[in-house]
Amino acid sequence: MSDKQRVTRRQFLTYTLMGVGGFMAAGTVMPMLRFAVDPALQAKAGGDLIATGLKESEITNEPQRVDFKFDQQDGWYESQVTQSAWVYKDNNGDIIALSPICKHLGCTVNWNGNEEFPNQFYCPCHFGRYEKDGTNVKGTPPRGPLDRYDYEIKDGVLYLSMRAKPRGGA
Amino acid sequence: MLNKVYDWIDERLDITPLWRDIADHEVPEHVNPAHHFSAFVYCFGGLTFFVVVIQILSGMFLTMYYVPDIERAWESVYYLQNQVAFGQIVRGMHHWGASIVIVMMFLHTLRVFFQGAYKKPRELNWIVGVLIFFVMLGLGLTGYLLPWDMKALFATKVTLDIVQSTPLIGDVLKTLIAGDEYITGAQTLTRFFAIHVFFLPAVLLGLIGAHFLMIRKQGISGPL
Amino acid sequence: MHRGKGMKFVGDSRIPINGRKPNIPKDYSEYPGKTEAFYPDFLLKEWMVGAVFLAGFLCLTAAEAPPLERIADPTDTTYIPMPDWYFLFLYQLLKYTFTSGPYNILGAMVIPGLAFGSLLLAPFLDRGPERRPFKRPLATGFMLLGIAAVFYLTWQAAAHHDWEAAKRQGEIKEVVEVDKEDPGYKVMEANGCLGCHGGNLEGLTGPQLVGTEKTADEIKDIAVNGFGDMPPGLFKGTDEELQQLADFIKSIEADK
Repeated sequence: MSDKQRVTRRQFLTYTLMGVGGFMAAGTVMPMLRFAVDPALQAKAGGDLIATGLKESEITNEPQRVDFKFDQQDGWYESQVTQSAWVYKDNNGDIIALSPICKHLGCTVNWNGNEEFPNQFYCPCHFGRYEKDGTNVKGTPPRGPLDRYDYEIKDGVLYLSMRAKPRGGA
Repeated sequence: MLNKVYDWIDERLDITPLWRDIADHEVPEHVNPAHHFSAFVYCFGGLTFFVVVIQILSGMFLTMYYVPDIERAWESVYYLQNQVAFGQIVRGMHHWGASIVIVMMFLHTLRVFFQGAYKKPRELNWIVGVLIFFVMLGLGLTGYLLPWDMKALFATKVTLDIVQSTPLIGDVLKTLIAGDEYITGAQTLTRFFAIHVFFLPAVLLGLIGAHFLMIRKQGISGPL
Repeated sequence: MHRGKGMKFVGDSRIPINGRKPNIPKDYSEYPGKTEAFYPDFLLKEWMVGAVFLAGFLCLTAAEAPPLERIADPTDTTYIPMPDWYFLFLYQLLKYTFTSGPYNILGAMVIPGLAFGSLLLAPFLDRGPERRPFKRPLATGFMLLGIAAVFYLTWQAAAHHDWEAAKRQGEIKEVVEVDKEDPGYKVMEANGCLGCHGGNLEGLTGPQLVGTEKTADEIKDIAVNGFGDMPPGLFKGTDEELQQLADFIKSIEADK
């Protein structure tokens, strides 16, 4: 037997060993990884729209704050959470429901929150400002326009989605 | 590339002897199932270790969902088993693995005992091995309570009663383990959780390290 | 480690610059007789055993869901406690007269303490140089005795445990709120049915009655004449009440 053949035998054994080891590692860890990443792969619950208690006829051109509650299922934990929205009708008569969460660092914005900036949403934390339609004012900290809720009018009452969606391309 | 990285590390830390020593050590004929089929009895120790690795991994992943609180523990276990993908498999690995560890360790102990492999100079390793056995029983005992279902609670009550029957220090001992003199409840669960997840595994790893170190140092016992 | 004049080290460390061990495996010719290199030769065999074991283990986890009973209810005093199977022998040991009552300490501490203590100290109790089991009869004998005792006690505990009752007691139950104003419910209350079958007929020591497969006539017969562990003569009402009771139990099935 030459030295060359011996090396081949050792290599063959090493490759087989790696194969078997890979199988064992995969067999043990794969189920656990799938288990761990499950929250990211759970089908996104589209979620029903939630009745807000605000009648369509009460929505004006002036943004007003609406609080609405729904049952939130957080894994094994159920709780009732409250979401807020700034709701108004724009000049075309379309309803707009803006999230009050500042796109800078997540503080809560207020309509006409500062007398110096009338007809704007104002964030007291770092002085972020937004126009009435939610567009962020250039030169203030926020990185984008305010998120918007999906809405629907059923029996004259405003229904909003559980979560606000970021406005794409704005 | 990999070779260069290896050389870079080796130049500084001289790691080659550390693992080459393990890789190149001679495995004697009598433990090799390729030569004697009866050598499969030497597998039980290795299999015990393999299941321990599975236990540690699956346990780590289970704590991603588990809460050690009497109001939520059961619900979180129910959730992770029935709602999370592969929940049944991962909890199953941990649950059935616990039993299999005991079986494998029992067989390994019998092999060592009936071969007289615990005799001089391996007395210390036998003692460490039996201590590992005790730690495993402790892990089984504490882990049994964690799902907080009927059998968990009532089996633990029995265990605590037995602890309490210890002469002189029984009451103190029970309070120390259960967290309360009378109640088997919230404080018991968190204590058992801490013992099961932090204290005993730390002891276990130390003991297993010592066990392996001694085997490596002394070599495996010779044929009968 | 080599120490001496003229040795050079990496920086100010203790790692020598020269004479580092080359990372070359020992040649197979260096393994005498039938000995084998640990890596990769022997490890491959170990891992092949491990892989087969793992395949079986994964099949087990896929086939058998780990058991989970209903959430712990400390107020339920009817539950028969049961430890995990590998503690059964210790649990059984406490059931004998010589190990319980005033002698509890014997069963709880002394006997297990002696057994596990001697296991721990086996190398010092069995000190002879002889390794073969037949040449050290005392050690072998005591070990066999211990194993036999463990197996016997485990078997006794398992045989005396009422597995079906335990399963029933531990089951996760969907408790359906029943109509407690129904005349049939009042009849059950008056005749003590709820003590065993539960306030929502979810079953306690007696079986669950929600969604029973029995017909109304069978229910009437059981209420009067008993069934299984249930003694006859428990029902003491009128025929009309008996009909109400049977209708009520059947109506819960319809709810489900």
